[in-house]
Amino acid sequence: MIDRILASRQSQLALFALLAFAVPLLLSGNRYFAFIAGITLVHVLWASGMNLLYGYTGLMPLMFAGIAGISSYLVVGLTSIGWSFWLAMPVGALAASLVGVVLGLPALRLKGFYFTLCSLVIQTVITLAFVYFVNLTNGDTGISQIPLPTLPGGASLHGLPYDLVLAALAVIGVFVLIRLVDSGFGRRLIAVREDDELAETLGIGVTRQKLTAFFVGSLYAGIGGAFYTPYVGFISPRSFDVLISLNVWLMVAFGGRGTIWGPVIGAVLLAPVPFLLQDYYMIKDVVYGLLIIGVIVLLPAGIVGGLVRRPKPDPEIVPATVGEGAR
Amino acid sequence: MSAPLLDARSVTMRFGGVVALRDVCVAQMAGETLGMIGPNGSGKTTFVNVITGHLAPTSGAVDFAGRPLLGRKPHRIADAGLTRTYQAVRVFRELTVRDNIATALVDAEAPLARAEVDEAIGWLALGGRLDAVAGGLTLYEQRRLELLMRLVQRPKLIMLDEPVGGLSSVEVRAMIGLLAELKSRCSVFVIEHTMKVIRELADRVVVLLAGEKIADGPPAEILTDQRVIEKYLGSADA
Repeated sequence: MIDRILASRQSQLALFALLAFAVPLLLSGNRYFAFIAGITLVHVLWASGMNLLYGYTGLMPLMFAGIAGISSYLVVGLTSIGWSFWLAMPVGALAASLVGVVLGLPALRLKGFYFTLCSLVIQTVITLAFVYFVNLTNGDTGISQIPLPTLPGGASLHGLPYDLVLAALAVIGVFVLIRLVDSGFGRRLIAVREDDELAETLGIGVTRQKLTAFFVGSLYAGIGGAFYTPYVGFISPRSFDVLISLNVWLMVAFGGRGTIWGPVIGAVLLAPVPFLLQDYYMIKDVVYGLLIIGVIVLLPAGIVGGLVRRPKPDPEIVPATVGEGAR
Repeated sequence: MSAPLLDARSVTMRFGGVVALRDVCVAQMAGETLGMIGPNGSGKTTFVNVITGHLAPTSGAVDFAGRPLLGRKPHRIADAGLTRTYQAVRVFRELTVRDNIATALVDAEAPLARAEVDEAIGWLALGGRLDAVAGGLTLYEQRRLELLMRLVQRPKLIMLDEPVGGLSSVEVRAMIGLLAELKSRCSVFVIEHTMKVIRELADRVVVLLAGEKIADGPPAEILTDQRVIEKYLGSADA
């Protein structure tokens, strides 16, 4: 019975929504734990966006954090010149999306490993730009005391209400991803991931699908970045460097790329780790490194992907023999 | 006499210093089955790649159903009703047969109606395999799935690149039967090394040799042509 209920995506989403709102409420007595929950919810949003690109479209964008950072710095800059957060946030997120589309252009030519390498270079350039344009970003020192978003009536959004806004964002993010993936758009992306030349032959406009995926994925990055910034109150180029991209990627890969819930679970399990290991910060990166290796070797399809493993194609029947028959 | 469905004129394709196609002219009428033969490396697949937009030729012109094709992207060419299969069978191996079919339908310009899709599935005997992962199918099943994924798009012309490659002799026999029936559904262009396929299916045969068309005519004539035998058939296993 419970199995049956949990099998439908609506009930899974309802359960996730329940947990996403309940956890900050339950943790509201301890600001530190509630804060970790909030950060985790931002990562759920980021992991869902990364999942659209990596899990469904088959592109590993290591400039994901950089795109989130562009939105973040824009929002901070715009609010500092007097804009309301609620106006700056969509502007910043949309700008990040457009930048994401432009930075996704190499994906039209490069596939797999080569695109990943290219995205690594792009991420490095973005990080350098964050350091270099000191008068906009305050360079390596970073920007602190970022004001909280104000609510109608003049109060600022903080504490539990902010946690609940993040919960709502995570739930909406997952909901939108479900709708996208279950639509024709999701089918096209999977076709592009599996074999883009065949997709093209079947009438799918691969260029348009890839760029749309970059727009949507970057929008997730940008919205997450915009809400992350006042929540944490401090950003620096290190907040959006390649390690952050890799962390988000790891959440997707660890949980199960190309599944709705895998990356959500990955984010919930991994986002709190840096906080829990705070006293052992020396070994934090080692733990991450080991996790990356462990995932690649032991769980190539991730936790969820490993659980609902589809039957493997029979290795006996390889189309490599096709060409030989002709020769 | 009406205009040809496919009209390729003086198509030349150069890769650096290598000429893969030189001044190739091929015309195919609607309803006609055109075979293309030639030794390996003679430019047959390159020709299909040029026609279907995977390669931009160095020079030449291609019209399909009265409209120029060159410069259009492969997915636009598919929209126009011209589709192809691959020499090495190509399906979405990680997806189920059902999802493969659904993917073929998602951007089809004039998809078959549901009942027609079911009829096509039945014709290709894939009804029992809908939930199987495509990569787990036998090669012959994958070849049929490949055909099915084209058929549901209601193509005007389907270009088959060695449709019986790698199949057993029993399967070749069965596939020839299917392809004979396919001719009533759309126009067929077929590249083959297996002469039985050409002999039984093609209304006309084009012979390529080192990128040049050396013969063009009915199979009975071409397969006994002294030049063709010397240059190709004599040296091949057929």
